[in-house]
Amino acid sequence: MKLLIVEDEKELLANIQSYLNRGDVVCEAASSFSEAQDRLLSFAYDIVLLDLMLPDGSGLNLLRMLKKINPETGVLIISAKNAIEDRVEGLELGADDYLTKPFHLSELNARLNAIYRRRKFQGHRQLTFDCLTVDTDTREVSVDGRGVELTVKEYELLLFFISNKNRVLTKQAIAEHLWGDDADLLDSFDFVYQHIKNLRKKLAVGSCGDQIKTIYGLGYKFNSR
Amino acid sequence: MNLIIKTTLFYLLLSVLVFGAGGVLTYQIVRSEVTKETDFALYEHMREIEEEILEGLPLELLMRERVGIQKLPAAPPPDTFFVFSDTLALHPYLDEKMEPYRKLDAVRKVGDGYYRFSITDIFIESDDIYDVVVKIMWQLFLILGLSMLVSSFLVTRWLLRPFRRILRSIQQFSLRDESPLDLPQRTSTREFRQLNAFIQAMTLRARQDFKSVKEFSENASHEMQTPLSIARGKLDLLQESEDLGQEQLELISGAQQALRRLSKLNNALLLLTKIENEEFRESAPLDFSKVVRSSLDNFRDLAGFKGLSLKQETGEAVYLRLDLSLAEILVSNVISNAIRHNIKGGEIEVVLNQAGLRVRNTGQPLSVPAEQLFQRFQKSRQSERSLGLGLSIVREICQTNDLTVDYNYQEGWHEVWIGFPKNV
Repeated sequence: MKLLIVEDEKELLANIQSYLNRGDVVCEAASSFSEAQDRLLSFAYDIVLLDLMLPDGSGLNLLRMLKKINPETGVLIISAKNAIEDRVEGLELGADDYLTKPFHLSELNARLNAIYRRRKFQGHRQLTFDCLTVDTDTREVSVDGRGVELTVKEYELLLFFISNKNRVLTKQAIAEHLWGDDADLLDSFDFVYQHIKNLRKKLAVGSCGDQIKTIYGLGYKFNSR
Repeated sequence: MNLIIKTTLFYLLLSVLVFGAGGVLTYQIVRSEVTKETDFALYEHMREIEEEILEGLPLELLMRERVGIQKLPAAPPPDTFFVFSDTLALHPYLDEKMEPYRKLDAVRKVGDGYYRFSITDIFIESDDIYDVVVKIMWQLFLILGLSMLVSSFLVTRWLLRPFRRILRSIQQFSLRDESPLDLPQRTSTREFRQLNAFIQAMTLRARQDFKSVKEFSENASHEMQTPLSIARGKLDLLQESEDLGQEQLELISGAQQALRRLSKLNNALLLLTKIENEEFRESAPLDFSKVVRSSLDNFRDLAGFKGLSLKQETGEAVYLRLDLSLAEILVSNVISNAIRHNIKGGEIEVVLNQAGLRVRNTGQPLSVPAEQLFQRFQKSRQSERSLGLGLSIVREICQTNDLTVDYNYQEGWHEVWIGFPKNV
């Protein structure tokens, strides 16, 4: 995946880059409107990660330009503004998704993967991960070729794990991924634990065994074999 | 009572006083003038008689009604004098009616002899003068009063037209509106020009201040979210490190939660500021029942997990004039409170109809007084994880959108009632 990160905050840029570089992502960075403009005009990217507030221009204008010259590129807006108008305008201009700061890097990674899947394979993609096969179009999951029935939340949880394979996912990040702002209602993370327990049970039927590793006090990690 | 009527009444009252005083004054002046003239005439009359005496006419010929002449003995020579006085005498034609007369009594030296004169003349009655003065004053007052009424309702209306326009534009003034105030540009009245300039400067400043406060709260939130984002990212990266022990991981997790809480707090305060500044403006009526149902669908999962039974009775087509995102926040805050402050195996009842939204839930009695419930950062001991801003936001949304919000606790049930305006 070839990615351009447009973000004026150097530290944030460094965080995202070092997190994503561990996977199979090629990250390039632009920290200003003009730099981003140059890069977008010279190279083609799979996905652009776009901050709306740049020191020398609005990210929305970059989005307009990008949609004209390269409509195939996926766009994920990251903004500190939670204003609905910004969100709506961004999505209307052709952005694929909108993420409000601050966010978990694992959440960002999952969203990028989702956009990539939609863009590259028009949603038709069989994700294969060890013994697991996930059809993101039909939402069917099979272990060693045998179909497994997952609830909506369990499916989302599994995708979140696969998108962030071999990475630590905190219970907080999982709760926020599954329930958004309502995650605060979950006194303790029992709910997350419950879902993980069910998912584990359903996936354990295959030959790969339990791939979800518990990291005490922090969260979980989905390991490849 | 408006300004025009007030000033008119004031001037009418003033003119009553002026005309009263004027009447008294006129009466005095006319009276003294009449007296002076009568006295002068009497004196002249006496002089004429003196001339005639000098010419040698006999006294009998000169004596008439109201003219008495008496020759005085020359020795010893009497004091000469003349004095005017008021007297009463019978009317010449009307019998038995006493009329006021002016009388001249004098002792004069004419030629070599001394004569006593007593001359009377009819005098204009002070009653007559009074009547005339009152009549004149009354008519003048009527004319003045009428013209004042007419002028105040026509001229003053016209004079105050710029003022009314200024008033109207102030009434329609909105901080969020960018369009300039509709003020009368050319008015020859200095006061209105001053008022215009003042209002223009004031509204401009108010708008600038409002804008800068708005920008400040937005920017402050933005500026705070960025370092928070960075810190969270660093912790995300840190927890990926291979050689972390259990203790370090727990420290990271604690820091993550604190950061998350901080950023939620920041968002909630920003939201409150935005609602207070009325930055959300309702547009078309919104199907509130849809909002309630979709919010309930979101929460059913969570309520179920906490073992709560959720009963709903949501009427169709309940319309409200409310911003969509505010409506979602309002409903989600009320319902999430009902879930959060519930007991194990408790119940939640949501009833929506045209009159309002009622959310009831089982729960422990409040640990704070009910009247403090809607204050910021007020939270009960049971849920330390909540921010304590949820109900403040609910109240703020209700206050700025003509909704009422009430809370009460009875027999183990908390009830929040959001009342809708009568006609939407």
